[in-house]
Amino acid sequence: MSFRHLWAVTRKEIQHILRDRATLILVLLTPTAMLLIFAYSLTVELQHIPIAVLDYDRGATSRDFVQQITAGDDLDLYAQVASEDEIEDLLMRGEIKAALIIHPDFSRDLLALRGMPLQIIIDGTEPESGGFAVDHISWRAEKFINTALSDQLQTMGLALDTLQPLDLRVRTWFNPSLKPRNDVIPGMISIMLGFPALSVALTLAHEREHGTMEQLMATPITRTELLLGKMLPYIFVGLVNVVLIPLFAIAWFHISFNGSFLLFFALSAVFLFSILGVGIVIGVFIRTQAAALALSFLVIFFPGFFMTGIFFPISSMPELVRMESLFLPGTHYAIITRGVFLPGVGLDILWPYTVMMFGLGVVFVGIAALFFRKKLG
Amino acid sequence: MTFALSARDLTKQFGDFTAVDGVQFDVHHGEIFGFLGPNGSGKTTTIRMMLGLLQPSAGEAEILGMPVREHIGEIRPRVGYMSQRFSLYNDLTVIQNLEFYGKAYGLTNTELKASLAKALEMSGLTGRENALTRDLSGGWRQRLALSAAILHRPEVIFLDEPTAGVDPVSRREFWDLLYQLVSENITVFVTTHYMDEAEHCHRLAFIQRGKIIAYGSPEEIKTDMMKAQVLEIEPSDAVRAMKVLRALKNEAKLPIQEVEYYGALVHVVAPNMKKHKKAIAAGLRKANIDPGQMSIIEPTLEDVFIASMKAK
Repeated sequence: MSFRHLWAVTRKEIQHILRDRATLILVLLTPTAMLLIFAYSLTVELQHIPIAVLDYDRGATSRDFVQQITAGDDLDLYAQVASEDEIEDLLMRGEIKAALIIHPDFSRDLLALRGMPLQIIIDGTEPESGGFAVDHISWRAEKFINTALSDQLQTMGLALDTLQPLDLRVRTWFNPSLKPRNDVIPGMISIMLGFPALSVALTLAHEREHGTMEQLMATPITRTELLLGKMLPYIFVGLVNVVLIPLFAIAWFHISFNGSFLLFFALSAVFLFSILGVGIVIGVFIRTQAAALALSFLVIFFPGFFMTGIFFPISSMPELVRMESLFLPGTHYAIITRGVFLPGVGLDILWPYTVMMFGLGVVFVGIAALFFRKKLG
Repeated sequence: MTFALSARDLTKQFGDFTAVDGVQFDVHHGEIFGFLGPNGSGKTTTIRMMLGLLQPSAGEAEILGMPVREHIGEIRPRVGYMSQRFSLYNDLTVIQNLEFYGKAYGLTNTELKASLAKALEMSGLTGRENALTRDLSGGWRQRLALSAAILHRPEVIFLDEPTAGVDPVSRREFWDLLYQLVSENITVFVTTHYMDEAEHCHRLAFIQRGKIIAYGSPEEIKTDMMKAQVLEIEPSDAVRAMKVLRALKNEAKLPIQEVEYYGALVHVVAPNMKKHKKAIAAGLRKANIDPGQMSIIEPTLEDVFIASMKAK
């Protein structure tokens, strides 16, 4: 490894980026800009979801219950209906997103501590709103039980919390009571840092397309020097965003950053090394920029969204996908970013993920160097 | 004595296709060696094998007395290469391109400074250091690419079709630069498909469909290869004369090998021309064409190559 060779490549790459202001801004600011756009579009708070109620019980308790359910801004009582046909009609017209059916035995079962016979029907074509309704009905139902039954429980000598062993809340993306931005922004940093990786893949493909790769191969620069030399400027680009993103998250979205910034910065550098490793593997195997772009979306961005546990918990994925997600640097980085931002955990907890990311990076760069057609044939 | 370059039975197969088939040549120190052939004849594949960019299927390449396969690391810094496609970065400036290649070949800052001045002077780009490479015309770019390839003072330089698509004046100037390199004892290996450039080479090899079909100095090739002579005719009607002569050739009434236009002239290639000259003239007169001035001339390399290509 010759430092002079490495620096020659890095310097050239920086000159490419600095060539014109548009390229510079595009390369440098895309991750932060995209994160801001995504943060806005993905954190729209749902409110005033219209629901219908079909109350077969028609008692004082069920009336109280319906009142409680629709007391907030989250769910609106669109109609009290008399039959299930009416529910179907309203759902078909899209006038309601969910319906709550209260069983005739509702009051009796509830007061006898036999449970709460309820049925919720949701519009499956709009699972977000439907999920939201289920979520909020369950949450309010739980609150209702607490107040309605507290006297009775006391007379029976039972503690309240024995009755609520389960938290039925479904965690949906858009649940405002969970403050989604807190979760989404730190999680999505890993996706946004895929952009520098894409840039690296493109610059390698660009050299191939323009015939300069062959010229490079004839120089004494080695494969590893070339690949690392190309990665360094984009690691720097990534680190600029690693500084910018928390600044925006704190100043703009009022997200608390509870961990050590230095730790976050250092672990982000490790992540950049491994995700850029994915970029150079793409750049080594793919000959054109168009194909490199398409493959980057397939290999970096889509799995970044769907397989790293940012939006869909990894525990709920099929086993094969769970295994695969372990090989995505983003999976480990998402745990790190969330850990550093919110609970503010340290290296004592995050070290295994760091080791994993670094190991993946070494493997990726190794694969790229090994398969790099130093010999063009 | 050792040669600057040698190829021994160099062969490259891509699947069933043999791109280079047992190529052999030696290049002396400080000469311009021309590697000629039509497009797709295996020129670039040969260069890639010589430079260790491509593993030969069989045979061996040697540069400066060292087998390429084992000593590529030692060879690289002593060799320059200008690839077929324009090999500089269009979005960088003249000086940025030169500095990059200088550093890529491991020059120190002081070494680089000295060679940069020389390279700029040689390419005639002094004063235009900060021009974007994409804004240069074809001829300038070729000279810049050549300057970049020799910044590190290589002992051997490979040029793959350096003058393709360059105007004739720039081509001429480019060849002047090559002679300058040779005067500094740099060995030049150059491929081209321009026949007129072949005459500028000290020695050359002609490759067709992966095989060398002629090898030596231009004079050697002309005497060895040309078993026939060229008759230059200045007929009254070149178009009709052409038809008549081709008919004679096709009907095999005369042992004519080739009939080609040469501007208003017609070149007829046949063995033992002295014997057939009269018959050719008679054939033309019979068709009411005045053969005009007829003379047996020295063949050009182009005549030789076309004749030998068709013979294969």
